[in-house]
Amino acid sequence: MKSVFASVFNWMDARLGLQDLLHLAQKKTVPVHRQTFWYYWGGLSLFFFLVQAFTGVLLLLYYRPGPEAYESVRQISFDTNFGWLIRSAHSWAANLMILAIFIHMFSVFFMKAYRQPREFGWWSGMGLLLLSMVFGFSGYLLPMNELAFFATKVGLEIPASFPLLGAKMASLVRGGLDVNEYTVQRFFALHVVILPALFLPLLGFHLWLVQKHGNALPPEEEDKPEAQRRTMPFFPNFFAKDLAMWLIALNILALLASLFPWELGPIADSLKPAPKGIHPEWYFMSSFQVLKIFGQWFPGASGEVIGMTLFTLGLVLWILVPLYDTSRKSGERARNATYFGLLALGILVVTTTWGYLAIR
Amino acid sequence: MNYPFWDVPHIGSGWVIGLIAIYHIMISHFAVGGGFYLPMAEAKALRENRKDWLDILQKHARFFLILTGVFGAVSGVGIWFAIGLTNPEATSTLIHNFVFGWAIEWVFFIIELSTAAVYYYTWGRIPKELHVKVGWVYAISSLLTLVIINGILTFMLFPGNTWLQVAGSGQEAHYFWNAFFNPTYWPSLLMRILVCTALAGIWALVTCSRLDGRLHAKLKTELVRWSAKWLVPSFALMPLALAFYLWQVPESQRSLLQLGMSTMGTGAFTQVTRIALLIIMTSGTIVLVVYFFAWRTPEDFSFAHAIAVLFLGLVATASGEYAREALRKPYVIGRHMFSNGIRVRDVARLNQEGFLTKSLWTTGPDKLAQGEAMFRGQCLACHTRDAYRPMKILLAGRTRESIGSLLKILHDYKPDSPYRSFMPPLAGTQAEVDALGDFLAAMISTNQTAAAENPAKPAKVAASSAKSAP
Repeated sequence: MKSVFASVFNWMDARLGLQDLLHLAQKKTVPVHRQTFWYYWGGLSLFFFLVQAFTGVLLLLYYRPGPEAYESVRQISFDTNFGWLIRSAHSWAANLMILAIFIHMFSVFFMKAYRQPREFGWWSGMGLLLLSMVFGFSGYLLPMNELAFFATKVGLEIPASFPLLGAKMASLVRGGLDVNEYTVQRFFALHVVILPALFLPLLGFHLWLVQKHGNALPPEEEDKPEAQRRTMPFFPNFFAKDLAMWLIALNILALLASLFPWELGPIADSLKPAPKGIHPEWYFMSSFQVLKIFGQWFPGASGEVIGMTLFTLGLVLWILVPLYDTSRKSGERARNATYFGLLALGILVVTTTWGYLAIR
Repeated sequence: MNYPFWDVPHIGSGWVIGLIAIYHIMISHFAVGGGFYLPMAEAKALRENRKDWLDILQKHARFFLILTGVFGAVSGVGIWFAIGLTNPEATSTLIHNFVFGWAIEWVFFIIELSTAAVYYYTWGRIPKELHVKVGWVYAISSLLTLVIINGILTFMLFPGNTWLQVAGSGQEAHYFWNAFFNPTYWPSLLMRILVCTALAGIWALVTCSRLDGRLHAKLKTELVRWSAKWLVPSFALMPLALAFYLWQVPESQRSLLQLGMSTMGTGAFTQVTRIALLIIMTSGTIVLVVYFFAWRTPEDFSFAHAIAVLFLGLVATASGEYAREALRKPYVIGRHMFSNGIRVRDVARLNQEGFLTKSLWTTGPDKLAQGEAMFRGQCLACHTRDAYRPMKILLAGRTRESIGSLLKILHDYKPDSPYRSFMPPLAGTQAEVDALGDFLAAMISTNQTAAAENPAKPAKVAASSAKSAP
């Protein structure tokens, strides 16, 4: 058996250069310190993306966009063998993926892993997060149930509140004045063609950068002399631990999908009034609540415009952090960037919690 | 009805049994498997003159004694208290049929507890060979408690046709052995023994993981690998044992596993399938974690790894117990007594004479009070008002008329009724059925009124509540 395996490996190695890859993986090391735990979150985000891709392809076999959207999801959930499981795993993995990316982003921020030479890693990661949120938003409408219909309606009010082009952009995405079957068609195209076409190359670029620059050290580790720093080989040590984390993630996903299968709810009806307390998904709750707060503070549409402008400014500042927190030494700028990170995290947690409390 | 009803809000009385039972099984099966682990490991250590092994084993024996002798024993008694309160009729049937079986089990139980204490407290104080023999006495007596109790537990899934033919005739005790060695006895015993050996290994891994792999590399490697081997019989034979078990389970019960394959509809008893999937998932993960972390890298096998395996074992055990309990539906004793304590043969009589006629526990003369008594007597065994299998959510959106139609389906209990595979018939006169309908409608309207009074209720909850009521 071993000789068969060795022959196959040798045959492939002669054509693909597997030994070179193996040597590279064995040579590569991962720092070991108190913050090593946070290195796993990028891999976890990737794992949930792979689950998304796999279950998404399976859902494509049965899903029918347009007027039959709801009926096809109903069939997947209630008629097709294990359709409910695939759909639940897809929906839960989407949420877990965005959660994992958020955790990854904040850990990268606080470890200052955006500094030279990793600026493009930070920017590509931010691009992946934003695309993931659009993935989530577009996928949310596809079942065309009551909740998705009204949540999308509310969600599209956010871009519509942008000055100048906002209303036109929202109308273009909707395919009309209101959310309808054309919106589903457009969201479907966005979800399965346009977004993957943007996401996959960006993901490849991000992973290449991670491979090129390796794992960043947190500032307190960087201050230590080289001899005092500990590392572990990427292969097999870190790789095995990474796989263990994936296994844990798979179990959590299976637990959630089995015990709390994703509900479908009633079919969307534009003539019905919106259910009370309608709200977007948790990862949009912060921006939704900020808009609401400013809407209450300032009269008319100006509140939403001010809220949106502040939110956009904050996001731009966040994205550009590698350009103004450049020094490796812990000076005032580095401290200010850390305070900015804590402030952003605080605002995110407080406004999200506030949003959920407000709809209770 | 000779007994009061045990109304446990939110989780239901069944989950009180469930929570105690899951906790108990993690310990009691360790008590059996660990009972073999200790003398076998001690004998090996003595044979190979390994004092370092003996020191670790003594610590493991102390942990074993405290866990099994205190927490295991107390939770075991807790189960019997809980089942007596939850389903007194079923408990009464068990006692009447298996009183001598229980007496025998208690004899072994007392030997088990005594020898466990003797084993730990005589460590290093009596001749080594004699100490190992004490361990073996413990191991055999604890195995025999399982051999006995397994007969009683499997009886509840399906007592077998021979016993069922005499059920209610007063001759049941004459068919003790038929009831005891019922169709699922042997596969269930095999499965439980495999779980015992696996849990012996898992708990031992917890003890071994606390060794410092750098200071005691050789010792830790040997002990972790030796403990990991205890999971091998379970890995290898469990699929076969499970197939044997399912083959022996009556087809009507086996089919319950398939209800959730195509649907996740609320009220369609789909959770058994989902729970069964979890058993496969967590068991597969235990295999991988133990192989890659305990067997391949024993020196690095940490306490966190061991706790993770233990937690996975807990999920697998909990899922297994839930699935086993759920497979009995709609009975609590297969084909003899429904899950609400009504005997199968009594249904026709209760429909004629009334369910509440002999009830000492009806809360009042008015119709709603009668409806509540019906609810407590016939629904509460499996449902709660507002949390676990909640009536308020299962019936949400239904009118009084629609509730009446559902109750009629349950009362008529026709062969093609979709509820027949997992719900008991609704027994009682038409007036009693109407009273139950009124009570349920009032309960739902209270729910709807509360929702109306709280207009800011999250839409997500409202939407999911309304979606797929049966």
